[in-house]
Amino acid sequence: MIGYTISRLLQAIPILILVSLMAFGIIYLIPGDAATVIGGPSATAEDLAQIRANLGLDQPLYMQIVTFYTNLFQGDLGRSLMLGIPVTEAIIQRSPITIGVAIYSLVITIVLGLVTGIIAALNHNRWIDQAATIFALIGVSLPNFWLALVLIVLFSVQLGWLPTGGYIPFTTDPWGWLRTTTLPALSLALLQAGLLTRITRSTMLEVLSQDYIRTARAKGLSEWVVVGKHALANVMMPVVTVLGLILSVLLSGSIVIESIFGVPGIGALLGNAISSRDYPMIQGGLLFVTAALLLLNIVVDVLYTWLDPRIRVGGGK
Amino acid sequence: MQSRRLLSLLAPALAAGLLTSTSALAQAAFSCPQTGGDLIVGMEAGVPTLDQHTATSSATRNVAMNIFETLVIRDAAMTPTPDLAESIETSEDGLTYTFKLRDGISFHNGKPLTTADVVASFDRYKEVGVNRATLDVVEKWEATDDITFVITLKQAQPTFLESLSSYTVPIVILPAEEAAKPANQITPIGTGPFKFVEFVPDSHVRLERYDGYVANDTFGDLSGFAGHKQACVDTVTFRMLTEAGARMAALETGEVHIVENVPAISQERLAGTAGVEVVRLENFALNVAYPNWSAPPTDNALVRQAMLAALDMEEIMEAATDGAFKLNPSFQFPDTGYYSTAGEEFYNQADPEKARALLAEAGYTNEPIVLLTNQQFPNMYNSALVMAAQLQAAGMNAELRVLDWPTALATSEKETAGWNVFFTFWATVTAQGGPTSLRNLANPNNVYKPVNNEGDAAFNEAFARIQSGADLETRRAAFAEAQAIAFEQVMAIPFGIMQNAQGIRANVENYQPYYNTRVSNVWLEQ
Repeated sequence: MIGYTISRLLQAIPILILVSLMAFGIIYLIPGDAATVIGGPSATAEDLAQIRANLGLDQPLYMQIVTFYTNLFQGDLGRSLMLGIPVTEAIIQRSPITIGVAIYSLVITIVLGLVTGIIAALNHNRWIDQAATIFALIGVSLPNFWLALVLIVLFSVQLGWLPTGGYIPFTTDPWGWLRTTTLPALSLALLQAGLLTRITRSTMLEVLSQDYIRTARAKGLSEWVVVGKHALANVMMPVVTVLGLILSVLLSGSIVIESIFGVPGIGALLGNAISSRDYPMIQGGLLFVTAALLLLNIVVDVLYTWLDPRIRVGGGK
Repeated sequence: MQSRRLLSLLAPALAAGLLTSTSALAQAAFSCPQTGGDLIVGMEAGVPTLDQHTATSSATRNVAMNIFETLVIRDAAMTPTPDLAESIETSEDGLTYTFKLRDGISFHNGKPLTTADVVASFDRYKEVGVNRATLDVVEKWEATDDITFVITLKQAQPTFLESLSSYTVPIVILPAEEAAKPANQITPIGTGPFKFVEFVPDSHVRLERYDGYVANDTFGDLSGFAGHKQACVDTVTFRMLTEAGARMAALETGEVHIVENVPAISQERLAGTAGVEVVRLENFALNVAYPNWSAPPTDNALVRQAMLAALDMEEIMEAATDGAFKLNPSFQFPDTGYYSTAGEEFYNQADPEKARALLAEAGYTNEPIVLLTNQQFPNMYNSALVMAAQLQAAGMNAELRVLDWPTALATSEKETAGWNVFFTFWATVTAQGGPTSLRNLANPNNVYKPVNNEGDAAFNEAFARIQSGADLETRRAAFAEAQAIAFEQVMAIPFGIMQNAQGIRANVENYQPYYNTRVSNVWLEQ
């Protein structure tokens, strides 16, 4: 398994290089730059020229490319045009915030999705099953920015239980962190919980119809043991696969959700970098997110082989 | 050297104030009825930087102008007014300006303000300041002692103090050691009533009262960015709430005390919400579009005039602002020094028949007229949408080209093909008077893209007189002349004035909406 993991990590390197090249090409093909954003609607051509000079955007493109890759191979992702700090520093500051919210969201997703899916499967074709199916359908259909606003109106404006936005670090005030991250985490989780409910339900239905489950029940095992031990272990295979996908969607969904709730995570950082044409930040952010997703996929693949001993790569025994 | 007090020429009312006994004014000076609390402001845009020398962004000014101060700034009537300066004198030949600093001022790090800091700040602005062209007319600046700062011009420019006090990108005074730092790498240390505490990008900026602040006792109260400023609240938190729905919800729940830019759709509901008040800035921005003089068919003046003849500004402004507008046949706001209605016969004609006749005279053969706009700013998109319909109704082949804002702006700036009309708005530049408001139409900026960037000669001649006219009357006359040319030649199309609504909680006292957020002299009712 160690050899497999190393091999997957090595495969990630060319992908990262390719992504950096594509990121560079794409963002420089788009008209508009950070100067137009900083300048705003009233800026004159003279103003924009001065802003470009301040930001180093008046350098020829080839010089910018050379500088970027020279710095990159020295482990330097450059300096954010908008924030004025090194890109690496910004990513290090922001990523724990997003990871924290994503994990919180994943926990909600798993609890809601897994439980609802299992209950639905165990109550196949009853009203509970139909209610769960409708919940799942609504979940996968709603846009998360809309859901976020509905949650704000319900839980903040109407009920007054949670703040409308903002962020308090866990290390400063754990209760404050929980209060400020619950709505963002819910906004992200409810949609993914719908997807997980559907996967869990259909997989559980399939597993419950297998011969070994019938055998387990015939042996007189309790329904808890049949479902909790024998069925759930096999349901976990596709669920783990989809959890990897869900976590990547949670990370990418954070671009919108963090902006709505004013959570200063990597999503808001990247979203603002794109809209403000902060080239070094976009490049660094994309590289970071790509690396994170690649790592996540590798972890899922490794977990997959660990969960199912039948899977071996390259004939490994 | 014979000298005269220039301020008396620029602002009789202000001069009267200066000549009044300081002690008499001090008795009437504003004093916080209550102090304490954390004032929370919900901002509509993220703060890109707090380096005020390098940003034109309104979000930067909203925060930074509570931290920093300038030698001379605009008061509520947009008159240049001393801020850190106690007095400003100009020589008879108009070449030398002498600024005396107010006594006892210190930076937030405790260091006393001297003219060495002023020199360093001007040096930096000349290097990285976005509006550094303001200083092109300056021969040199120098500190003759710790409180005397002298600027010598290459040639007399009667509007020099107007330029120097422009706050689009103000020349704020930094400590010399900060002024030595490159663009966007300073620690925000100023002399204002609030000092910087923390900046978490995409989240918030926190300021706190500066106990060592020395208010300008020459004035009784805040006026524009000038006047007698005082920090009543302990701290101010500027939260970046860019999503309008979330921002309004935060106001309703009382999580924030003030929100910027209440969308028209939310105003009625908020006005009916207990504990919330909607206040309005009547003249916020000019909704404007530029034609492209280099691309056919708008390279033809008759086609441009046909476009202008077809427009019903009321319909356009209604769609652009959901009703929060004023029609205004001018490139200035009403009741301001340079306001003129010269050329108003070309405004709001709503005459498709005249447009058709002009098109026939122009030999227009149904070439596309591309309206370049974006959806990030709804006023721009909606203006383009209605204008397209009006042009089509008058027989023009108008079509929309919708891009994101940075792309659209860059296209209008760098390309002379692929678009015919570009939509934007002017806010602070319009507020700050004649020379500033028409800068975009003058050489070398020429946003209307004349061929080879050779701007309209008559307009530029008039614009030069707006800057160089010896007295305000001469400059006003030049402004009216330039505006009439801009209307007639269709260098830009001012659709009307957009208003701006802000929401405040009932316990916020003495908050006055302005072009930028001012938190001095505002207190929270405990």
